[in-house]
Amino acid sequence: MDAALLEQMLLGALLALSVYLPLRCGQLSLATPGFYAVGGYVAALLSTGVPAFAGSGATSPLPALLAEMVLGGALAGLIALAIGGPVLRLRGIYLAIATIALVEILRVLNLNLPFTGGAMGIFGIPQPFAHAEGYVLFTLALLALACWLCQRLEALRLGRAMAAIRDDELAAACVGIDTPRTKLIAFVASAVLAGVTGALAAHFFNSWNARAGSFDASITTLAFVVFGGSRLWPGPVLGGLVLTALPELLRPVGDLRLILFGAVILLGPLFFPQGLVTAERLHWLAARLGRGRHRGRQAPQAP
Amino acid sequence: MNQTPDSTGPVPLLQVEAVSCRFGGLLALDQVSLELEEGEIFGLIGPNGAGKTTLFNVISGLTPPSGGRCLWRGAPTAGLGASGLNRLGIARTFQNLRLFESLSVRENVLVGLHHAARAPLLGSLLGSGAFRRQQGQLQERAMELLTLLELEALAEQRAGDLPYGDRRRLEIARALATAPRLLLLDEPAAGMNPAEKDDLRRLIGTIRQHFTLTVLIIEHHVPLMMQLCDRLAVLNFGRRIALGSPAAVRTDPRVIEAYLGSSGGSSGGSSGGAGGDGR
Ligand SMILES: Nc1ncnc2c1ncn2[C@@H]1O[C@H](COP(=O)(O)OP(=O)(O)OP(=O)(O)O)[C@@H](O)[C@H]1O
Ligand SMILES: [Mg+2]
Repeated sequence: MDAALLEQMLLGALLALSVYLPLRCGQLSLATPGFYAVGGYVAALLSTGVPAFAGSGATSPLPALLAEMVLGGALAGLIALAIGGPVLRLRGIYLAIATIALVEILRVLNLNLPFTGGAMGIFGIPQPFAHAEGYVLFTLALLALACWLCQRLEALRLGRAMAAIRDDELAAACVGIDTPRTKLIAFVASAVLAGVTGALAAHFFNSWNARAGSFDASITTLAFVVFGGSRLWPGPVLGGLVLTALPELLRPVGDLRLILFGAVILLGPLFFPQGLVTAERLHWLAARLGRGRHRGRQAPQAP
Repeated sequence: MNQTPDSTGPVPLLQVEAVSCRFGGLLALDQVSLELEEGEIFGLIGPNGAGKTTLFNVISGLTPPSGGRCLWRGAPTAGLGASGLNRLGIARTFQNLRLFESLSVRENVLVGLHHAARAPLLGSLLGSGAFRRQQGQLQERAMELLTLLELEALAEQRAGDLPYGDRRRLEIARALATAPRLLLLDEPAAGMNPAEKDDLRRLIGTIRQHFTLTVLIIEHHVPLMMQLCDRLAVLNFGRRIALGSPAAVRTDPRVIEAYLGSSGGSSGGSSGGAGGDGR
């Protein structure tokens, strides 16, 4: 597997976690690609337009990349903070539609703002890493950090409040949880993660345009989570990795890729209503691995 | 209207002042007033559809009243919302059970301890000593509550897998975890067998003493209510038709009429169903 594909898979996993965060408190937001695009534009504009970030023009310094990721994440987070209040009053499918509208608004803005390069976008974004392997290591570290945060969330007051809202928002309010605030935190965290990922991706892809944040991308990122599962963070990570790799390997079939994603969204819930990764399957896997280590071969028991 | 004459007493814990609640053409509550004194167990009875759950929804901030208001220790509660009112000290259970079903029994109580779990973000993320100590205390507190409600053996079970009676008690444990001053119990004995009901009655007494709580309870099982409550109010078609001591309410002709007359309600004395669309 070549490093460029691996890097795209890791970026896919990060975006899947961005979709997962609001879902963890029951909010289906499809805004991730919009925030991803915003983060990418921040990095693209800074590193092609601002000398301090641009480095030599072909290569850019690592601190500049980190600063762009912070700024890209911050801008995405601010947008989420500004619109989250009213948007998160919507529930279920209405929230999903509103966030699709947001992605469209951002896309049209990105196409038409005087400084974003129109349909062609921004070219020649300098590279902080000479090879794709450098990106892979860096992105792996970022993904590990994101996974660690998601794992820690389970033990925190915030994580429990999110799970409670997912199960029953009204009951959560009745035990004193500030439900609008908790949902807003999840939404903003999702936007920050998408923005940070976009800033990194803009360098990796070398150019950036409005297609990064399209309706197609919303559906793709949703498919990551539907496929992998939205209950536990390994679900979206697996979904992001696998579903990014699959169409690249199927590149010869061209636009059939979108049909494939449609099929996953359609058929996935039929066969795996909870997605691939569930607590039971993780336990089963852990038990299998444990047994494998202890006694070489034993008849597998039903989980 | 045998309102207790206590104009010189302390401010009541909760005052419900002429609360009305209209759903389209249906007047679910019609100018209902009552006052809860600190520490009492106050019963709310009435036939199906009388508006009991609706009154709970108004008091706990889930349903804004169409008229009238509630006062908590003398201050109006309008606009606080359910979470704000819980933080003031009002906790409730639900007639139709609203547990966090995918969470374990212990986690349900931990969610109830939300208010006590505040911690600095960085320390929590890194698992600092202070954070771990606090977590230990929270877990201990959760187990105490589960023990009190006789659920400790089920702590790691999924709440959604519990049998009915255990769910009802878990809802009480979760509500108690929020450290309320006023506990609203909506048909806590519904679906329980006679032995469980008896336990529940004892339990509510214990809880009141243990936590110096005021309890407002809806229950169809009239004998239980007569034993348990200091005072009772009776609702019928959204109106408060009686209020007073159990003995006085039992013999009130309007109450007898409401329960035995042709009002459509037919659940007096029976254990009542968990039907209706009360939340
Ligand atoms: N959200 C709502 N929208 C419309 N009507 C409602 C709503 N909530 C309650 N009602 C109606 O208001 C009336 C009172 O309902 P409520 O649930 O308060 O009765 P209850 O006294 O709790 O009855 P039960 O003993 O059956 O629980 C009923 O006729 C009910 O159908
Ligand atoms: Mg009711």
